[in-house]
Amino acid sequence: MNIENTQSQMRKGILEFCILSIIRRGEAYPSDIVEEMKAANLNILEGTLYPLLTRLKNAEMLNYRWVESNSGPPRKYFLLTEKGESFYKELEETWNELANAVNTLAGKKDLHPSEDSQPSKETI
Amino acid sequence: MKKIININFQGRVIPIEESAYDILKYYIESLRKYFAGEEGRDEIINDIESRIAELFSDRLKRTSTCITDEDVNSVIAGIGRPEDLQEAEGSHTIPGTAATPSEADQAQYQHASQKSRRLYRSQNDKILGGVSAGLANFFGIDPSIMRLLFVLMLFMGFVGFFVYIVLWIVVPAKMLTSNVRKRLYRNPDNRMIGGVSGGIGAYLNIDAWIPRIIFLLPFIMAVFVNIFRNAWIMDFDRGPDFIFSGFGGTLFIIYIVLWIVLPEAVTATEKLEMRGEKVDLESIKKTVREDLESIKAKTDKFGGEVKERAQHFGQEIKQAGQSFTSQAAPIVRSSRSGLGHAIGVLFKAFFLFIAGIIVFALLMALAALLFSGVGAFPFKDFVLQGFWQNLLAWSTFLLFIGIPIVALLTWLIRRVIGVKSRNHYLGYTFGSLWIVGLVSAVILAGLVGGNFRSKTSVREEVPLTQPANGKLLVKVMDAKVRNYGGDWFGFDGDLPFFSQNEDSLTMNTVQVKLVKSDDSLYHIHAVKFSNGNSPAVAERLANRINFNVSQTDSFLYLPKGFIITQSEKFRNQQVMVIVEVPVGKRVEVDRNVDQYEWFSINMNRRRAWNSDWDERWNNSYYYNTDKEYVMTPGGLEETGKRPEAGRNGRFKLKIDEDGIEAEGDINPDESPEYRYDRNKRINRDTVIIFRKDSLSAPPIKKETSFQVKPGIEDTFSDSPTALYTLLKLFI
Repeated sequence: MNIENTQSQMRKGILEFCILSIIRRGEAYPSDIVEEMKAANLNILEGTLYPLLTRLKNAEMLNYRWVESNSGPPRKYFLLTEKGESFYKELEETWNELANAVNTLAGKKDLHPSEDSQPSKETI
Repeated sequence: MKKIININFQGRVIPIEESAYDILKYYIESLRKYFAGEEGRDEIINDIESRIAELFSDRLKRTSTCITDEDVNSVIAGIGRPEDLQEAEGSHTIPGTAATPSEADQAQYQHASQKSRRLYRSQNDKILGGVSAGLANFFGIDPSIMRLLFVLMLFMGFVGFFVYIVLWIVVPAKMLTSNVRKRLYRNPDNRMIGGVSGGIGAYLNIDAWIPRIIFLLPFIMAVFVNIFRNAWIMDFDRGPDFIFSGFGGTLFIIYIVLWIVLPEAVTATEKLEMRGEKVDLESIKKTVREDLESIKAKTDKFGGEVKERAQHFGQEIKQAGQSFTSQAAPIVRSSRSGLGHAIGVLFKAFFLFIAGIIVFALLMALAALLFSGVGAFPFKDFVLQGFWQNLLAWSTFLLFIGIPIVALLTWLIRRVIGVKSRNHYLGYTFGSLWIVGLVSAVILAGLVGGNFRSKTSVREEVPLTQPANGKLLVKVMDAKVRNYGGDWFGFDGDLPFFSQNEDSLTMNTVQVKLVKSDDSLYHIHAVKFSNGNSPAVAERLANRINFNVSQTDSFLYLPKGFIITQSEKFRNQQVMVIVEVPVGKRVEVDRNVDQYEWFSINMNRRRAWNSDWDERWNNSYYYNTDKEYVMTPGGLEETGKRPEAGRNGRFKLKIDEDGIEAEGDINPDESPEYRYDRNKRINRDTVIIFRKDSLSAPPIKKETSFQVKPGIEDTFSDSPTALYTLLKLFI
């Protein structure tokens, strides 16, 4: 069992949720999303972000519009669609349940913190 | 010291060091490979490129004047190399291939390099419905092969078409990635027309000119076959044959089909697949580097002049920029396949077809000229005079006509083999030699034309015994001399001469004219024409024409032609036989007079016809051979011709002061004309016509009556026998 692999699996599961929550607050430019996540101590590569955004957009969770920029060609700003909103709501619910569950479980057994990863994998 | 190039990158002009540009190019290429299975691949790459461009322009604004290797590397670090992305996304080599996140997980566990267990239609690699690519994926073969199979089935019947439609409807669509290592592509780097041959060459690992020659073979064959078969007649109707018939047609269609079906290898990945090399980041890097190096090599090859260098430097940038942006553009995939591409290819094929015919016709025309030149070679001594004219003729022949053929063939061969030399010497040499040929042709035309400048005629009266029976028969004497015939080294009897030996020609430019005689006698004149560079020379040549006419009773025998020798030269010698026929006398021209050819070279109309021509001979009459004519004051009239009124059972009745005149096809044994004496009285107001069957009846039975006024000519349609009876009654 590779620890890095497990960790990335965990992060991956919440990545979409995080991105959607940032965009939900208002239309966002990809590099701003990266900055914001970095600030929240959740590092993500832009190379990972772009495919995710495109996938979400193709699934009609997101939409984008072109915003004129003062330095060069217009930039793509992403915003949430109604479908994305309800998707987000469901994710949020799942997250709260999970967080509760994990906190409860992890809080109960202090002795083996590494076991946390086991249930989280199933949520992906 | 580093070279800096300007690139147009996502709508921004970025000055970038050449090495940094290379790094950037490898990077984008590796991303493209990494996201190959992704549905929104082009969009993702596009977004990332936009971002990179933005970061670059930020950097340019803040600090440096150009983008360096470090700049590119730090930007790449921020976005992530494929390896980093792989790590970040987990252990899976290819990210999710499904369209929606809910399906993503399931799809992520499926390795794209495996055969798909189910049959899908390909969503990302399709021309129509993606059925072929799906089937190919299922069986693990090249999609192009599957497509060709479908096209083949379409040609054999409509089964393939229905199978395709059914599969299109039944089979679900899915994003699929290719699972074969070697694919047949069209090669854009080695193309003459569509890059098909280049692709086949790369696939089979042979030189591209081999498949190219095979595709061109029918065309080449057709050219050669046509040269040897039809060069004389210049029969260009046969042009399209080589494309539409048999072997050639099949190859042409195969080429078009391949052009439509095969995708073009644009990216480094595809180029590797085309050659069947393993696709990984290292090999992609290598390919991209090779691409760039080949461009560089092209640039470096012409060193020397700075100006030229700069020019090609610009070209390199343009080229590099073009290929870069074309790879970056999101529409690139759709422009390479699909229905639009197919229609585009068909249009191109149409123009190719037209161009092929034009090139073909051009080659044929030139070859025909060349070969007819060879064919006319023995004839040249009869036209040309002196050393200089001969020299000019050779120069015209070899340079003016030969050079374009050689140039066209050279161009074709070099295109086929793919030699691209920047050396213009060959072109200049061809050009100047051709101009020498052109000048020779003009001078030669002038000199030869000068030899035909004057035209004169000499008239000779042929003594004639008047024929006893009032009829003259004009005939060509049956020659006992054996001729080579009208074919002169392959000429199809089109030319007005026979050959008797190397040194002499038998000309048959003879014409027989029938005119009206001024007196009551037949007269025969032979008017001999010749051209020459002065009237005196022309007259001398005309006098040397030996045209012996002989007579046996009423037969006038003309010789088969007249002989000119090499010393006399061909100067458009002609003979016109004028037959003057007195009024009331008959004349007939035998069919074999048609053997004579007549043509006229009129260099200068004003100077022609300057002597020995009787103006009244201009009034000659048209005649057909093998028909007897009688000369009337009004001209020639064919004898034995049925009168107009007798045709179709009609007859003409004319009543005037002279009496009744009737014309009609009454009885072949009797004269068709009846005339009633003016002294005998008839009732001019009423004409009674009897039918034949009423003859046995009482003599006068009134059948029909006409009111016919005197002085009126009229035509009635009735039984001729009735008219006969009528006239019998009155006479």
